[in-house]
Amino acid sequence: MTLPVTIIMIEDDEGHARLIERNIRRSGVNNEIVSFANGTEAMKHLFGADGSGLVQKGNALLILLDLNLPDMSGIDILRQIKENKYLKASPVVVLTTTDDSQEIKRCYELGCNVYITKPVNYENFANAIRQLGLFFSVIQVPPAT
Amino acid sequence: MLTVISAGSVYLVNEARRDSKWVIHTIEVENQINTLLLEVRRAESSARGFLLTLGPDFQSDHEKAVAAIIPALDKLTRQIGDNPAQRESIEKLSAAIETRLGQFSREMNYVKQGQPDMAAALIREAAADDSTTTINNLANAMIREEERLFRIRTSNSDRSQTLAASMTGIGSGLVVLLALISVWLVRRSAGARDDAEIRLRDANLNLEATIDERTADLREANDEIQRFAYIVSHDLRSPLVNIMGFTSELEELGKDIFRRIGELAGVPAGGPPVDVADIPLDGPDKQLSADFSEALGFIKSSIARMDRLISAILSLTREGRREFRPEKINTRDFVGTIVSSVAHQAAEAQAEIHIEPLPNIVSDRLALEQIFSNLIDNAIKYLRSGVPGEIRIRGRTKLGYAIFEISDNGRGIDPKDHQRIFDLFRRAGTQDKPGQGIGLAHVRALVRRLGGTMSVSSELNAGSTFMITLPINWNASNRNADK
Repeated sequence: MTLPVTIIMIEDDEGHARLIERNIRRSGVNNEIVSFANGTEAMKHLFGADGSGLVQKGNALLILLDLNLPDMSGIDILRQIKENKYLKASPVVVLTTTDDSQEIKRCYELGCNVYITKPVNYENFANAIRQLGLFFSVIQVPPAT
Repeated sequence: MLTVISAGSVYLVNEARRDSKWVIHTIEVENQINTLLLEVRRAESSARGFLLTLGPDFQSDHEKAVAAIIPALDKLTRQIGDNPAQRESIEKLSAAIETRLGQFSREMNYVKQGQPDMAAALIREAAADDSTTTINNLANAMIREEERLFRIRTSNSDRSQTLAASMTGIGSGLVVLLALISVWLVRRSAGARDDAEIRLRDANLNLEATIDERTADLREANDEIQRFAYIVSHDLRSPLVNIMGFTSELEELGKDIFRRIGELAGVPAGGPPVDVADIPLDGPDKQLSADFSEALGFIKSSIARMDRLISAILSLTREGRREFRPEKINTRDFVGTIVSSVAHQAAEAQAEIHIEPLPNIVSDRLALEQIFSNLIDNAIKYLRSGVPGEIRIRGRTKLGYAIFEISDNGRGIDPKDHQRIFDLFRRAGTQDKPGQGIGLAHVRALVRRLGGTMSVSSELNAGSTFMITLPINWNASNRNADK
């Protein structure tokens, strides 16, 4: 990655967050990972106290999003990110347990860049995250304008 | 009742007719007596005429009258044969008439012989002995008697006619009354029937409403269960991923720790260890690493098992949500394909699979494939070791349903387990084959969703036969409409 990209991970299950982080690290990605266990905190971080998103201007972000959050729906977060003029260019990876085809379609329509279903068993899960890490290590991420 | 009334009126009418016949008879008798008297007078007056004028006309008239007297008397005798009193009178009457007739013939003889004096004397004698008066008196007595009878009989006849009339009247009244009662009864029962019909219709409507309600409830409950199963299995999976993940992490950690221990203890490390237990260690350290490895092994195998169960529930619920698409299936080719896909396992188990002619059906291909492959898999899986397997797939049709039988000569199922084997996560018999106890539960759920039923007949060590009954023309709409 040419720019210091920050990975924003919004994942309510801390265990999953930890496992995801570890497996991303194992694939050789050393970027900063900022983890949030609920939507409200993540929104505050992404959009700042004023909610405009100006706070992220100039930062290159990659957002890892779980859809099932305790306080709000991941889909709402996705929509707001894609509607925000500063954040809309940031790639969003939806990483969730749901494999409902309607849900997947909706996410892509809202502008999600990658949709990944968390594999059921751990081997596949670890494998998928590692591959995602490899993917992270090669993609270009634009800074928030 | 009516019979009694009609019999009574018939009897009374007959009675009245008989009475009136008697009345007529009496009148006839009276007539006859009068006729007789008339003839006697005619004979007498003509005889007198003859005596006075000697005209042949009177003579012939007298002879005619005399000739008519005897038959008239005979007729009268016959007519009053039933009445002893009259019979007595008639005997006297006929005696008197005979006497008079004798006098007549004598008179006539005297007249013919030209002795009118003698005849006149005879007539005087006859007048003197009063034979004519006797006749008249007798006849009048008879007439009186007949008149008396006439009165009695007339009143009899009137009475019986009145009786018959009133009987008929009462009968008619009764008939009308009975008719009214019947009409009332019929109307009442019709009313009761209408009421019952209305109640029945209401009950039917209620029943239908109740059934609809219950069906809706059941459908809701079923949907709820499906959702519940889905959510539970889904949500259970999340923590399970953590458990699995961190167990793997722990395993890695264990390897690192024991390698460090080994290094510290000065045991030369080999290549990179594959398992904790493979790390070269000494004495108690070796024991620790073995225990560690065993514990992890149990955890991992349990997790793997739990993972399989959860996946099975998930796939079952997903199967329950899938919409079926019925299509025409050439069952024999279809089963042939499934059998060839398990040919390898069958050969390994030394089993032969025979497919007999099968009826074609319209059903969901994927569901049918799962049903047959599960059952055939089971048949191969649970053969008796050492006995060459023989699996037969038969089919027939009955009343719009196709019945398929998959039978084997395998180890069989104890009858007490026949219900249990269809339950989720339940298995029966010797547990020497891998499995989750899902296959048959899944098959039965599918068969039910396809509108069919399934059953098993089996004895321990005598093979099993699984019987599936499916509609030949399954119509998805009546099922998907439920959803």
